[in-house]
Amino acid sequence: MAENTGQRLTEPRRFALPFKLNLRTREALAAYLFLTPFLIFFAIFFVRAAFSSFELSFYDWRLLRPNRPYVGLDNYVDLFNDPIWWDSVRNTIYFAALTVFGTTSIGLLAAVAVTRPVRGQGFFRILFYVPQLMSVGAMGLIWNWLLSTQFGVINYLLSFIGIRPINWLGDPNLVIPALSMSTIWWSFGFPMLIFIAGLQSIPEHLYEAARIDGANARQIFFRITIPLLRPTILFVTVTGVISHFQVFGQPYIITAGGGPGRSSWTVIIYLYQQAWVAFRMGYGAAVAVAIAMIMAVITVFQFLLISRRVDY
Amino acid sequence: MNLRKSSLFRYWGVYVLLAVLSAVVLFPLIITVSQSLMTNQEVNRWPPQVFPNQPTIESYQLVLTQQDVRLDMWLRNSLFAAAGYTLAVLVICTPAAYAFARLRFPGNKLLFAILLVTIMIPGQVTLIPNYMLMRDLRWLDSFNALIFPGAANVFGVFLLRQFFMQIPVELEEAAVLDGASYFGRFWHVILPLSTNALTALAIFVFLGHYNDLFWPIIVTSSLETRTLPVGLSIIQSSYAGQYRPMILAGVVLSTLPILIVYAIFQRRIIQGVTLTGMGGR
Repeated sequence: MAENTGQRLTEPRRFALPFKLNLRTREALAAYLFLTPFLIFFAIFFVRAAFSSFELSFYDWRLLRPNRPYVGLDNYVDLFNDPIWWDSVRNTIYFAALTVFGTTSIGLLAAVAVTRPVRGQGFFRILFYVPQLMSVGAMGLIWNWLLSTQFGVINYLLSFIGIRPINWLGDPNLVIPALSMSTIWWSFGFPMLIFIAGLQSIPEHLYEAARIDGANARQIFFRITIPLLRPTILFVTVTGVISHFQVFGQPYIITAGGGPGRSSWTVIIYLYQQAWVAFRMGYGAAVAVAIAMIMAVITVFQFLLISRRVDY
Repeated sequence: MNLRKSSLFRYWGVYVLLAVLSAVVLFPLIITVSQSLMTNQEVNRWPPQVFPNQPTIESYQLVLTQQDVRLDMWLRNSLFAAAGYTLAVLVICTPAAYAFARLRFPGNKLLFAILLVTIMIPGQVTLIPNYMLMRDLRWLDSFNALIFPGAANVFGVFLLRQFFMQIPVELEEAAVLDGASYFGRFWHVILPLSTNALTALAIFVFLGHYNDLFWPIIVTSSLETRTLPVGLSIIQSSYAGQYRPMILAGVVLSTLPILIVYAIFQRRIIQGVTLTGMGGR
């Protein structure tokens, strides 16, 4: 920013103003005009909303009741003591961890494959990004059917290697891995494209030097590719964890709102249930604040974890 | 030719990997299309069939004629809301990004630092207050609720600011010598040079909105204002047990518009992902 705004531009032609303004004031005035629409929307729908959420979280406000008593930290205490909340947190972390691991590793694998000098590179890139374009509604309907115990094609394929029908969406222990599997299919295309860009920025001479030194493909991958991709891996995992932590559509659609029982409730399903099914807006606001805090902690933690290991 | 043959031989492992990945990606899609062309009895059969004995478009007719399934209307709503939202984002964020990138004004750095911090705050904290605001404005169940609340897209401002800063200042100076105002520089110099960034941003903002589920679920309630993803979840909950081919036909019809757009703009979209870092989830 500094290097651009530091350069003085020649004075533009003056508007026919009835009074004179110096260049500085005119530039600032123009800037504020350019910013006004954005700042209005940002103030109303973000700043006001965020503060208001925080404030609401101290009230016991239910949509259908006329009064909303101040309850201090009660909502947070209730939340802290609700085992369903902690189950939802656990489910969400489990889902996000599995999914990010899956999308990152398959994305990297796919990226390495399509950057080799093989035929149809462009075609495969385009193909692997296709699932990503579907809405969670469409993807959810497909996977709800593929994973069906009785008529599902996944179980049919597994029967060829002698595996008996698996109750993917009805078994509390399998439902999160099943949702994660469908999500990996749906969204590994994005990390793949990011990794392709990262791979292409690694200078070719490093590979040549390693080959001359007699390194094999595995050594080259783990000693050159992976270390040099670290910033890309950081970007992919951090954005992946943030977005998969906010998972909502998959349990909402594939397991009919988080079933069986509450086995696939995630934190956003929990928020949805409290605020828009039970209409507990004050409590819901506390849930939203808690979700925001967890995500902030996870993000900071990830940055520390990965940036610490960059030194060679 | 020789070279190609040797590459086929040398990279056989890569080809195997690509074939497996392609099969994994394509299989669910092929099953969806082919089972949408089956009858109900054919679908509920073990072992499942991959291809229909006698393809029928019965389920497509069914999904388009159900009283409580309004795919055409939902598609129109989704397209209209996503287009309106994209337009709002561009109109609001582009000038702001220009101000941050090029103009000197008191508070430039401070304001930008505040925006940087807010990008760390997840949008969930705004849901309940914004929902209440929609209710108070009587915007629930209307396009306004789908278009305006997310229009101040901070990420869009970052992206465009970054892009504008790469444009050489000299080009603007030339315009100034020709007597251009601040708006003139923005409109005649910066915007024409930024079409790549602007279209990439527009495409991903559009797709993100078109595929969004949570906000449309809570702010729409009548059959006539639902968007496609919400509509699909309604089909799922009302017909899941009984009319599977009809559900799959709904999936095909709702995904087709996106795939057509992708077929036309695939290069731009693929490049746009790396250019913007958007387009993931």
